[in-house]
Amino acid sequence: MKRRNFIKSSALASTALWIPSFLKGNTTSPLLKTRSGKILIIVQLGGGNDGLNTVVPYRNDLYYKYRPSLGIKQNDVLKVSDQLGFNPEMQALQSLYDQGLLSVVNNVGYPNPDRSHFRSMDIWHTASDSTEYLSTGWLGRYLDNDCKGCITPHHALEVDDSLSLAMKGTNNSGFAMGDAKRLRKATDSKFLKAVAQHEHDHDHENVEYLYKTMIDTQHSAEYLYQQSKVYQSKVKYPNTPFGKDLKQISELITADTDTKVYYTSLTGFDTHANQKGKQGRLLKQYAEGMKALVEDLKRNNLLNDTLIMTFSEFGRRVKQNGSGGTDHGTANNLFLIGGNLNKAGFYNNGPDLQKLDNGDLIYQVDFRNVYATILENWLEADAPAVLGKNFTKLNIL
Amino acid sequence: MSKIKHLYWRAGFGLSPQEWEKRKNWPVTKAVDQLFKEAKAAGPLQALHVSSVTSKPTKEQRKMERKYVGRQNTAWLMRMANPNESAFMERMSLFWHGHFACSSKLSKLAFNQINAIREHALGNFRDLVLAVAKDPSMIRYLNNQQNKKNKPNENFARELMELFTIGRGHYTEQDIKEAARAFTGWSSNLSGSFVFRRRQHDFGVKTFMGRTGKFDGDEIIDIILEQRATAQFICTKIYRYFVNEKVDTKIVNQLADQLYKSDYNIEALMRNIFTSDWFYDKKNIGIKIKSPVDLLAGMSRGLNVQYDNEQALIFAQKALGQVLFNPPNVAGWAEGKAWIDNSTMMLRLNLITYLLYASDIDFRTKSDLKASSRNKAMRKLEARVNLAPLQQILSTNDQERTIEELSDFLLQRDPAVDKKLIQQYAQSGTGQDFMKMAIARITSLPEYQLC
Repeated sequence: MKRRNFIKSSALASTALWIPSFLKGNTTSPLLKTRSGKILIIVQLGGGNDGLNTVVPYRNDLYYKYRPSLGIKQNDVLKVSDQLGFNPEMQALQSLYDQGLLSVVNNVGYPNPDRSHFRSMDIWHTASDSTEYLSTGWLGRYLDNDCKGCITPHHALEVDDSLSLAMKGTNNSGFAMGDAKRLRKATDSKFLKAVAQHEHDHDHENVEYLYKTMIDTQHSAEYLYQQSKVYQSKVKYPNTPFGKDLKQISELITADTDTKVYYTSLTGFDTHANQKGKQGRLLKQYAEGMKALVEDLKRNNLLNDTLIMTFSEFGRRVKQNGSGGTDHGTANNLFLIGGNLNKAGFYNNGPDLQKLDNGDLIYQVDFRNVYATILENWLEADAPAVLGKNFTKLNIL
Repeated sequence: MSKIKHLYWRAGFGLSPQEWEKRKNWPVTKAVDQLFKEAKAAGPLQALHVSSVTSKPTKEQRKMERKYVGRQNTAWLMRMANPNESAFMERMSLFWHGHFACSSKLSKLAFNQINAIREHALGNFRDLVLAVAKDPSMIRYLNNQQNKKNKPNENFARELMELFTIGRGHYTEQDIKEAARAFTGWSSNLSGSFVFRRRQHDFGVKTFMGRTGKFDGDEIIDIILEQRATAQFICTKIYRYFVNEKVDTKIVNQLADQLYKSDYNIEALMRNIFTSDWFYDKKNIGIKIKSPVDLLAGMSRGLNVQYDNEQALIFAQKALGQVLFNPPNVAGWAEGKAWIDNSTMMLRLNLITYLLYASDIDFRTKSDLKASSRNKAMRKLEARVNLAPLQQILSTNDQERTIEELSDFLLQRDPAVDKKLIQQYAQSGTGQDFMKMAIARITSLPEYQLC
């Protein structure tokens, strides 16, 4: 069913009628911008996912040499090319690969890699060089640059109680919502609503900014709460907080919510010890979540309008450590999922295990090349303005 | 708006009701003298939560260290909130803590660092920079351990110039390389003390900022401070933090001249700022967005909040985006509007209501990237607000008057809404109930976020 048809036929076809009421009254809330229809979902794997045991170079003797017990046995690998295959727990992801809905970019990283979780994640969030400290994120700057006051506060939505650095801009930021009901409760103050409705004339930009944020939050919380009730997915998602987040995203997209970017994360990938079981369970959860989300979007004819990017702050060292795990490394693989990929399958070759930098993989694709491609080819934004410099686009979208 | 309140918010964390009652009619000069007197008498932070672990902690020790650093954090925050302590010393230490931003995972190192900063917080900037350059925590944080002759690590040298002293545009990449050589061998030993490793030090000739000599780190710092641009950089930062994010170039130039001529005397600089008429200009009052620590320390001081579980304070810092001893990176916290997004805004607006009515927060902070699962949601802040001191300074039971007096005490600028609206929404109770509800309403106004 087409999304618009779905909305029309829904018993709760209230969004169209409802939006004007949230916009009327003396609010500073900007008018809704018609979106191109394209939606971006970012999935963050927190802790540094071990890319080598996610996409396994099962033909490479060096892989088994470096990982005598942690390496995944050839027979167990879900082989999808003559060189590479998936972790055995990722059958669900393999099915997306088989349908041409997945593109794997190998060896993604950045120059002078930092092995601190926090710092490396900041670098990914801010799209900075590793010697540079920025206090705004790439998606925040996308909001600042692309929209210039013409967006809704929930144009970029993080499914969490608090907002990631990636989503923070100077004048515009993304919107954090862990759960529609809870957020509504937190914003549901009669007094503050009365305060918001008063005529305001602020003589300082900070005062104005605080009022604007408060009022926008009230409106968006109410709007998103209504949107969250429009469509209840019947698809089975993993019964975990991450699965629940994905379901919420899919329901909001299907309800034609005025949100273009969604952000969610799955954590626990810092596998210094006893990695196999831990990582396997997480990858299974991730893969099944992706499969459910894709199925859900497909049912509503939305898959071609959606792109899902999955990343982690770094990969891990090539050699296993003494505790059945791996330590912090560098370059890693990155996944793109959607119905509109230029190059499904493997975008480039797997890692070169012969040429390492002090035991670490050497990156070949700067993650900012991926960002630039997504910004320009998917979000129709001005990538150099957002990223601060020119990064060549990749032939992925 | 009261000059005294403005002074106390910028030089400290606001006033307790009793401080306000006693000092609200003081002339500014008297209040400034008192602030400096208290600051000079202030001692170091107490070594209540310091272990002996100074290197290579085990997993178990790391866990304990997190706890200890957390306790130091809340002890410091409660000191900021304590009317019997010098708020000005705490404010200066907090400023320098954000300036020489460093995250310390070991309690002893974190403790030593903050006390080294406190020692020079109102002293000479050169001594302060030198203390930081020799601080084991900073040395480790910026990899100066790995800075060795013929194998330099430039991290410390770069940040010393870019962030700590002179700022971008006043040095070259070559200057960084030469400065890094001068700091080779500045290291820390296993027991967490500074050590100069002669064999790792490069005693050769360096050319730095146009000068040539066998410089060591001390001399590099001297040369950097000989540049007037350093005084300008520091004064700009101080002005933006203590006065106004929007820089008044003329004033900052004057301040920089003064700092430079006084050979970097911080105390004289701060005294000049707080006794200048322009500091009390209307355009500088009630326009700074409180940092999370400002907000928490200020509300605890103003409303006599006692925490039964210090986790409440750690939670609030995390959720609002500023955790003491854990700045985001060496550049410190981004101030101003950067504190505010929809999530932190609603928490800020509701915070005191949560405290006053022990209501359900149900908020989950982001988990540490090392964590294996998501954090549990915080349900209630285990804390008690003692309104008796505030009630004592109210002159009347009259509701309209009470709203006036409470707003006057709690806000740094007139609310945009009519006070009648506050009164109307506070009217579900009488007596202390009314006062409590009025406080909840006033502190949930966006204006409460400003100082």
